[in-house]
Amino acid sequence: MSLRPAWSDAFAAGILTEVRVPGGIDAAWAFDGATGAGVDVAVVDSGIDATHPAVGNVAGGAAFSWDPDAGRAILAEGPHEDLFGHGTACAGIICRAAPECGLLSVRVLGARLSGKAQVFAAGLRWAVQSGARVVNLSLSTSNPDFYGLFHEIADEAYFAGVTLVCAVNNVPAPTYPSQYASVVSVAANDGTDAFALDCNPTPPAEFGAPGIDQEIPWLDSGTIVATGNSFAAPHVAGLVARLLSKHPELTPPDVKAVLRAASRNAVPLRA
Amino acid sequence: MSPPGSVGLLSALTETARRLFGAQACSLALLTPDESELVYTTAAGAGAQDITGMRMPSGRGVAGWVAMSGQPVAIDDLRRDPRFAQDVAEDTGYVPQALLAVPVVSPVRMLGVMTLLDRDAERPGADQDMTLLSLFADQAALALEAAAAFTDVGEMLLGALATAAGEGTALATAVQAAAQAASAGNQPSDLTELAALLAELGRRGAAERRLAVRLVSDVLTYAAAGRPGR
Repeated sequence: MSLRPAWSDAFAAGILTEVRVPGGIDAAWAFDGATGAGVDVAVVDSGIDATHPAVGNVAGGAAFSWDPDAGRAILAEGPHEDLFGHGTACAGIICRAAPECGLLSVRVLGARLSGKAQVFAAGLRWAVQSGARVVNLSLSTSNPDFYGLFHEIADEAYFAGVTLVCAVNNVPAPTYPSQYASVVSVAANDGTDAFALDCNPTPPAEFGAPGIDQEIPWLDSGTIVATGNSFAAPHVAGLVARLLSKHPELTPPDVKAVLRAASRNAVPLRA
Repeated sequence: MSPPGSVGLLSALTETARRLFGAQACSLALLTPDESELVYTTAAGAGAQDITGMRMPSGRGVAGWVAMSGQPVAIDDLRRDPRFAQDVAEDTGYVPQALLAVPVVSPVRMLGVMTLLDRDAERPGADQDMTLLSLFADQAALALEAAAAFTDVGEMLLGALATAAGEGTALATAVQAAAQAASAGNQPSDLTELAALLAELGRRGAAERRLAVRLVSDVLTYAAAGRPGR
């Protein structure tokens, strides 16, 4: 029996119900013939191993860490490694639906926890201002002290036309920014292919994408089989990049409406 | 690493989890104070003796990811991860097929990682194991925080009393001896009760924690001012 991370029960067979969506837009309209070309996706995570065969074009990035003396996050631009494998996994998954997108590696997780939320916030802000149209966040903070800060950055992203795709927590407790209404929040469904998108009629986890028993890229050019909402979010980030490469004029609320309409459980309203 | 007083409870927790989940092994690794390493303090099942005391850098690997991200992760087919398999095989002689690792986290800080190796995934309800193991990790966090609070508060109160009594006096010597006993996990029962109350306040949130600290500091100020002979 496969594990189900928190919130993923909503997408289990027999539980997910239909969602009614405006007619005229479907998965073919959104995704057919597109590759993600021309769209940058920032991966705010543990770094990306650009040499992994599953990882496409890493176009740049930045690594953030905590300076305890200055009491703030500091930035080191340029290439860096992935110490854990998780960021590389996310990057490889994004490339499944958007093989020609550009990837920006924003490393916010290293070997220390102190200042973690501030480092995460600094990395996210950099990503929002980087020119990327999509930001994948397979991590978030459960610390309510940072609710306001992350909300401010999520609002900046929304108005700047940057879609934040956030994995919801793997255990039943709120995290930020995955809980905000402006982001595209994602939990794992049982799907296997990159286009297996579901829409949850009872949020906060709004979308379901493959994240259970997924074969994912890992360290040393290898793969592992893993389960987590972490691996569902980059599937959706890849779909958003693919969508924006075909329809670049869409804004974050448009993107969310199209994702709903392109979901497997969407039923178009009649004209 | 584990505060005195928590060792027995943590051993019972890991053994109970191992049996309940039908796992080959269950372990608890705690972050060192400088967060640079994870130290396996408690383990039950296959390779338990070998893994206990093992240290690994917190900035790499699956357990490192769980501690740094605060997110659980489940991995099957671990033997495909050559680095993991080699490290673990060298250290414990047991190479698992699958692991489920969850963070051990208090309301205020990351404490460590709890890991199940090769759980029985065919049990009824096994699809909820990520959430279930997190409940065990919450128990471990409570045990660790309560034990640490007992020790911290006991040492602090007794240390303050020794200072108030005056250097070299018989009372100071007695109080210092009591402080040492507290560090060793043999707290006087009234201090234990006080510490439990303060720990409970602390768990309710940051504001309550600050209130608890202010309360104790006010009591100490009052006690020092009211000392006979002043």
